[in-house]
Order: sequence, then structure tokens, then C-alpha cells
Amino acid sequence: MMPGMRAIGLLALASLACARTAPRDASEVVFRHQPLWGDPAPFHAMLDRFRRENPDVRVRDETMPNASDMAREMFLTTLDGGGTELDLFAIDVVWAPEFARAGWLADLSAAFPADRLRDAYLPGAIDAVTLGGRVYAVPWYLDVGLLYYRTDLVPRAPRTYDELSQFARAAMQRDPGLSGFLWQGRQYEGLDCNVFESIWGHGGDLVRGGGIALDTPAARTGLAWLREAIATGLSPRSVLSSAEEETRRAFQDGRAVFLRNWPYVWAEAQNEGSPIRGRIGFAPLPTVTGEPGHGTLGGWQLAVNARSPPMRRRAAERLAAFLTSPDAAVELALRYSRIPARRAVYDDPRVREGAPFIAALLPIAAAARPRPVTPYYALASDSIQGELSAAVAGLRPPADALSRAQAIVDHLQENR
Amino acid sequence: MIERRHAAWMAAPSVAILAGVAIVPVFAAIWLSLHRSIVIFHDQRFVGLANFRFLLSDGRFWSALGTTIHFTVVAVAAEIALGLAVALVLRRGGGLLRAAVILPWAIPTAVSARMWAWLFNADYGLLHRLAPAVDWLGSPATALYAAILVDVWKTTPFVALILLAGLSSIPESVYEAALVDGASAPRTFFGITLPLLKPALLVALLFRSLDAFRVFDAIYVLTEGGPANSTETLSIYAYKTLMRSGDFGYGSTLSVATFACALVIGLSFVRWLGRER
Repeated sequence: MMPGMRAIGLLALASLACARTAPRDASEVVFRHQPLWGDPAPFHAMLDRFRRENPDVRVRDETMPNASDMAREMFLTTLDGGGTELDLFAIDVVWAPEFARAGWLADLSAAFPADRLRDAYLPGAIDAVTLGGRVYAVPWYLDVGLLYYRTDLVPRAPRTYDELSQFARAAMQRDPGLSGFLWQGRQYEGLDCNVFESIWGHGGDLVRGGGIALDTPAARTGLAWLREAIATGLSPRSVLSSAEEETRRAFQDGRAVFLRNWPYVWAEAQNEGSPIRGRIGFAPLPTVTGEPGHGTLGGWQLAVNARSPPMRRRAAERLAAFLTSPDAAVELALRYSRIPARRAVYDDPRVREGAPFIAALLPIAAAARPRPVTPYYALASDSIQGELSAAVAGLRPPADALSRAQAIVDHLQENR
Repeated sequence: MIERRHAAWMAAPSVAILAGVAIVPVFAAIWLSLHRSIVIFHDQRFVGLANFRFLLSDGRFWSALGTTIHFTVVAVAAEIALGLAVALVLRRGGGLLRAAVILPWAIPTAVSARMWAWLFNADYGLLHRLAPAVDWLGSPATALYAAILVDVWKTTPFVALILLAGLSSIPESVYEAALVDGASAPRTFFGITLPLLKPALLVALLFRSLDAFRVFDAIYVLTEGGPANSTETLSIYAYKTLMRSGDFGYGSTLSVATFACALVIGLSFVRWLGRER
């Protein structure tokens, strides 16, 4: 028994030693993020500029796998274990309140005061990173749901759901091989985004008294509209197993009239060799009233590890300020087609000239809404997805699915 | 005495490694399953068996258990039947044929699942073209069978290889004796091949049942457990609870429950195998 115990102890010591092999000096900042799509050289040049301007700070740039789930897994295990091997890191927009509530994110309100951020940034982006008036992350770049349409198949962008369905059906009558409206209905986070957009478009709100509210009349009509879209053939059944790429490919092959997706689709669909090049337009999502709809806010934020020692924390804040500066945002827009979170960047001549699509996105980006900003969102989202999936697949009436989802959410929220 | 000492020392490294990578984590998970540990609440509190009491009343757990059993029984039955057929063919085939059959097994599961997802794709997937009325991944009625198909495609070669090894250990003289006695082909198969193949069959059954019961990657890539949780197995539910929801306590409870089920399956097969010998 004793030698066995000793062996385990040795093993544990060995693993501890491994974790501490790389000694770090007080001013080395480790920045961990997902890769920016494309050639890394411009981004590395950006970091080198920071190094030149801040000779007292050493920056180590670490890239994570390009999968949101894996990044989250890594953050949960590292930060929950009190790890200090990262100082500055990029987090998904829905994680900020949760990670802040867990005590993993440094309060950045001193370096990035909330009112100053509100002046410079789009409103949704700031809502998503503030919790109880404190700032826990700085928006880096964002993402927003929007509607793509075929300019050769419909007269103009639809403003209401009725128009969307009318335009689509007219085009489908002329060409029966077409699908009407493509969206993402697979059971995953993207389904939540699509349903929330429909709920907002039907006049609903997802937050009531600081909690998540799903069992509302507007939510029922919003979810029912998506279910009806499938039941009446406006959307093909394939949306039930579709995420972003499946729908983007079908649309790009010229087999659909409308597509709800993220801004990345624009560059792909306008690429040389794309069958629909020059024949697409984009617009805000439709609503019942005809006012421009709200797209779901996505994107990445820079957060600082609450456990980093003060010197490194200050250095990390400086790096975050540099990476979110107007100049850096212009660079990210031009080189990587990243959607700016700062309002002024949309009017920057360099962006208007070099990335007109991004400059034109301003009204849609400004209307973007975050998913419910509560620490419980991640906890609840998984159960919500199952119910929403049951509703759009026609397994349960939308009203039943929503009241079941609400029961789960209430149980979680009471449990605090 | 000295030899036994030596033996103990020789075995010590492997015991230590096993303890480090298997036994300690298992007990750590059991320990964690007795806690309420949800990352956002930032607390870790001992709650005894409360998580297990919740488990018993958790409809999603029972439905995931049902899905897992459904998946395991159908997939393993199909794999054994097909694997046996393939093994009987391969017995007469050459090396090239054997190499070709093993190919699906050599492809990483995530890659083959991604490939199948495109085949199933309801817009332009090949399988969709063949049977346009079936919405493989989008319908709760068929999604699990799509996952079973992928698993069967991938692991039948593995079963076939084990059974092939079993077949080649049956002495040719037994068949010659049957031939002399004038036994028919079915009679030879059921009277000689199957009974003598039983140990190999049981080994294949043990490996495959344990693997299928813990299925994760194929389903995760194909459907992430959807639609409407209809393909959610225990491993997927545990993963989502642990990593997406950040509920380490209840997630560990689910993992422990999965482990307990796999342990029961494994032990019963091992006892069955032992009796056969």
C-alpha cells in the first residue's frame, strides 16, 4: 500500500512541476485567443507594433483551437482551477456575465469606465459586457444576424414577415426548385439566436425583472412563426439539421431566395466563382411592424484574468486598450473583415473605401441585441435549445415547449 | 519471496500510471459528484447524495439512458451480424481485401462523422438524393438511426477482424470430419463454426458494447444530441452539463452513472466469458 501511495504522490508532484516549467517574469502578458481567419501576418505586425511602443511589456501570443466549444472547455478548466497561465483572453459574448459572476474576470471599470465605453461603442456590445454597472470585458469585434436576399428574384428587401413570405412564394412559383427562407434550426446555440430574433421581430423581449422570460405571448408567436415556416414549406425541412455552413452553401449555390446568417457570408457569396456573385443584397431582419429588426449580437471580447498579479494585469489592460483602439479596429475590418464594435470606425474613410460592406452594416450592427445578459444564460441555454428544437421540429406545440423551457429557467434562477 | 518482490517492482510503474490516469480521476469524479459545484455560483459544497436523488427524478437522464441503450443494442447487434458475414467472406479473401475492409476503422470518428453529415445533408446529400422522403438528421424518428448507421459503418471492420482471428483458430480437421460425416453447410455453421467462435464473439460483444455505450464523437458531430434531444446519449448529456452549463457537480454525477452502467456491462460480460472457458 505505502509504495503505491508514494508513487501517486511522486506522480502528482511531477505533474505540478510540469505545469511550472516555464518561468515567467512579472511583465510578461499571455494573450490567448482564437485564430483570426486568414493570413496571420498583419495581426502579428500589429502585436509587434505594441511591443515596440511598450518595450517594458513582453507579449506571448497563444492561439486556441478554432472551435468555440473547445475554447470554452479550456477556459472552464483553467480558470476554475485558479490558473494564471493566461492574462488576457478573448471570450464569446455570452460568456462574459457568467465568467464575471464566477469571479474569473478582473473588473476593468477603472481602466475602461462604462460611460466612456458607451460613448464610443455600439450599445449592444456594451450591454453584453457590463454586469451591475461594472465592466468585465472590452468588445473586440462583433457579429450580428442579418437577412440576405437575391436581388434578381425579389423586388426589394422585405420589411415584414408577410412580405418575406410573399416574395419568397412568388419566386418559388416561378422556379419550384427554389427554397424560400433558410435559417439555422439544428439543436445548437445558433437555434437560440434564430428564435430570439423572431421573438424580437414579433415585439417580444427576453428579459423581465433581470431574469430570462420565455413564456410570453410574443415568444409564442415568434416561435410559432418559425415552426409554421417549415410546416407551410416556406423553409425546407433541411433547416432542422442545418447550421451556418449548410445554409450558406445552399444559398450560395443559388437554391434559395432568403437566408438568415452572419456577416461572413457576404465575402463568400461575392467571391469570384460564386454562382450568385453580384446578385445578392443584405438587410435588417424583418419584423411584424415593418421597422428594422434586431439581429442577435455575437462576437468576441477581451477579458483579463482576475488572478493575474497586479503588474501583469495592468500590462494586460494596456494590450487590451491597444487591440481595441480605433486603429486596430480599422485594421481588423480591412484585413480580416471583422465587424467593428466602435461606432466611429464605420465612418472611417479607410473602412468606407476598403470595406464598404462593413461600413454599410452600421445600422444593423447598432440595432444588434445581446442574448439575455445574465450569468444563468449558459446554464439555461442548453435546456432551452432542447425545447426550442422540439417546437421547430413539430414535436411539441410552441406554447408547451416555451412553458417547459421557462420552468427549467425558473428552477435555475431560483436555485441561486 | 525475492522473486515476488521483483515482480511487484516490475509492475509498480504500470500500476502507478494506471492509478494516475484512471483510478484517481474516477474517484475524483465520484467525490465531485457528491458536491454542488456550479461555476457561476462559485461555490463548492458537499451535498451528499442530493445529486443522485435529483438524477432519479430527472426525465432527461432517463431519456438519455433509453437512447444510449437503444443505440447500443441496435448498433452492436448489427455490427456483430455484419462483422460475422464479413469475417466469413474474408476467410477466403486475400490481404488486399482485408486491408480494404479495415479502411473505415482507420478513419478518425470525427472525420467520418463529418463526411456522413454531408452524405445525410437534406439539401444535396447523396443519401438524401436516394431517398428524398427521409430527412435523416432533421427528424427525431430517424436521427438516431443515422448515428447508428455511421457507427456500424465504422466499427464493423473491427468486429470482423476479431471474428476472423476466432475463425482461424478453429482447426481445419473439424470441418473435414463434418464433411466426411456429410453435414450440410448450415449444419456445419450452427454446429461447429458458431459454438467454436463463441469466445471471439463474446470478446467482440464486450468491446463493442462498452464502446457503443459511451458513444460521443459520432453523435456530437452529426447532431449534437438534437433534434429535440432525440439523439442525446449519456456521454453527450454529461458533456453538455459539465462544459456548456458549467455544472461540475451534476455533470460528474451523470459521468459516474455512465461509468456505473459501463462497469455493470463490462463485469457481466467478463463473468460470462469466464464461464465459457
